[in-house]
Amino acid sequence: MKTVWTVARKELVDLFRDRRTMLISLLMGPVLVPVLMLGIGTMIESRMRTQMESTLQLPVIGAEHAPNLIAFLETYNIETQPGPEDPDATVRGQEADVILRISPEFGEQWRESRPARVELIHDSSRQDSQIPVSRLVSVLSEYSGTLGALRGISRGVSPEAAYAVQVARRDVATPESRRAMALLFLPYFLTFFSFLGGAHLAMDATAGERERQSLEPLLATPARRAAIMGGKILGACIFGVISLVLMLLAFKLSLGFAPGAMRMINVSTPVMAMLLVVLLPMVLIGTTLLTLISATVKSMKEAQGYMTVLMLLPMVPSLMLMVNPVRNALWQFAVPFLAQNQMIMKLVRGEVVSAAEWTVYMTAGLGAGLLLWAVASRMYLREKLAVSA
Amino acid sequence: MILLENLHKTFKAKGGPVHAVKGVGFEARDGEITGLLGPNGAGKTTTLRMLYTLMSPDQGRIQVDGIDVAKDPAAVRRRLGVLPDARGIYKRLTARENVAYFGRLHGLDDATISARIDRMAEALNMHDFLDRRTEGFSQGQRTKTAIARALVHDPRNVILDEPTNGLDVMTTRGLRGFLRELRAEGRCVIFSSHIMQEVAALCDRIVVIAHGEVRAIGTPDQLREQTGLADLEDVFVRLADLGAEA
Repeated sequence: MKTVWTVARKELVDLFRDRRTMLISLLMGPVLVPVLMLGIGTMIESRMRTQMESTLQLPVIGAEHAPNLIAFLETYNIETQPGPEDPDATVRGQEADVILRISPEFGEQWRESRPARVELIHDSSRQDSQIPVSRLVSVLSEYSGTLGALRGISRGVSPEAAYAVQVARRDVATPESRRAMALLFLPYFLTFFSFLGGAHLAMDATAGERERQSLEPLLATPARRAAIMGGKILGACIFGVISLVLMLLAFKLSLGFAPGAMRMINVSTPVMAMLLVVLLPMVLIGTTLLTLISATVKSMKEAQGYMTVLMLLPMVPSLMLMVNPVRNALWQFAVPFLAQNQMIMKLVRGEVVSAAEWTVYMTAGLGAGLLLWAVASRMYLREKLAVSA
Repeated sequence: MILLENLHKTFKAKGGPVHAVKGVGFEARDGEITGLLGPNGAGKTTTLRMLYTLMSPDQGRIQVDGIDVAKDPAAVRRRLGVLPDARGIYKRLTARENVAYFGRLHGLDDATISARIDRMAEALNMHDFLDRRTEGFSQGQRTKTAIARALVHDPRNVILDEPTNGLDVMTTRGLRGFLRELRAEGRCVIFSSHIMQEVAALCDRIVVIAHGEVRAIGTPDQLREQTGLADLEDVFVRLADLGAEA
């Protein structure tokens, strides 16, 4: 035990004396990530506001066929312009979000009380045009509904007869859960930082030390190898936790200044403390996995080769959930990365995590960490490890 | 007192297994400096690594002060002071901190460590760089730090793998004096080198190794007699059978 602490302390002293490396790995994340998130959040927010509230410029083809409709649109803050010759090409070329085409038969159909035809030309794969399109669709259907009702009244039919079914929506999203939509990135950032926060130290303490030829004398001391490895893992874990705490603090402080929806994220101290507890198993998994890798590779360069893949790992659940959202189930709390994602989302959405979920989560997380630890210990006992090339 | 018997070690390599050590055996007595002499790649480092328990021999037996290395490697490591071929020191720690770190790993208390460091610094003339960070140290300063680190626990047996590599004349002389002191204190010193003069200047007995085998054991005079050659370098070339390769 004494050896473990001696080694851990030496690794931390060694790292903290390397000021620049230490500052980069400790402060870069906590400074940059909130800036990035707030930046993206502000952009989404202001974009939505302008698109919702500003005047919508709408190119219209055949405006002359339906002057009343055009007048109606203008009362809803939609300004019409003459439409282009080739509307498809204009929309594809992203010169207009949506184009309205009124067919020449509009007037005739209108007079005969047949459904008069208008056409919306838009690109549904463009995120950007969603708001203008839905604005236009709702104004058009309002126009259609209002005039349809008037027609009914003029023929002695109750306007209600036209609505066979009335759809009422009730959105059960709590304010917190709606805010959390804006935070799909949060679990990724936090998981990533806890997973790889102590990565430099973990790799350097084994692969780097071996490369610098100081591992052989170290292993020639009477100290047990498992204890030496334990010290290195402990050192990296301590560093990982420090960087994680800084990250959480940065989130807590910066989200206080966040615009609109993000301000409602729950960053209260109890939630932050719970996030820290949730991420501890990830710190352990990250450092033991990297120690394991470092003990098997020939050089620091080879160890760093694994980093690209490791960086992608925390992203997998976020991506999967984006494409294929799954319902909460207990098994998810046992799958590394997915479990962190679910726990973080639950906490920041202000939902209650049940005792069963906590138990499964912590058991699986710490279990995986300890398993990796055991495998790394075996790797540390190999003859090859000590002998640097 | 160190005893090696019939050691064998084979490595797997791309071009088939390499039999690096084939039946090496010798005895290193207390109060003597035993020189392990051989050309590069002769198997010296591998032999020493088996001795300080970093590798286990495929065959053969090693005893340190009567303790079998295979049975109690930790006890053996406690009795050995090792300057390995790889002698990296931590460049962001001072020389003193480097030595103290190993002292703690040997389970020594701070007072003992501090007293030992003072003695080693005296013997190795380390005072002017003892509290500097080792980044930018000269080769000699690094080697001295590594030797102090290896001997911090006051071991009875001292193993030095090519300690004079890359050192200038004065540092080498100082180091020789230091090794003689260790001998005078009754320790068992093993020291490997590929330079005959180096070994002859210092060692009571020389073990010549080449191609993973022991070629000759004896005092410098005995080796001269055995080969009938006067020049020590010629003796070495003859014994290690280097002439055929040149």
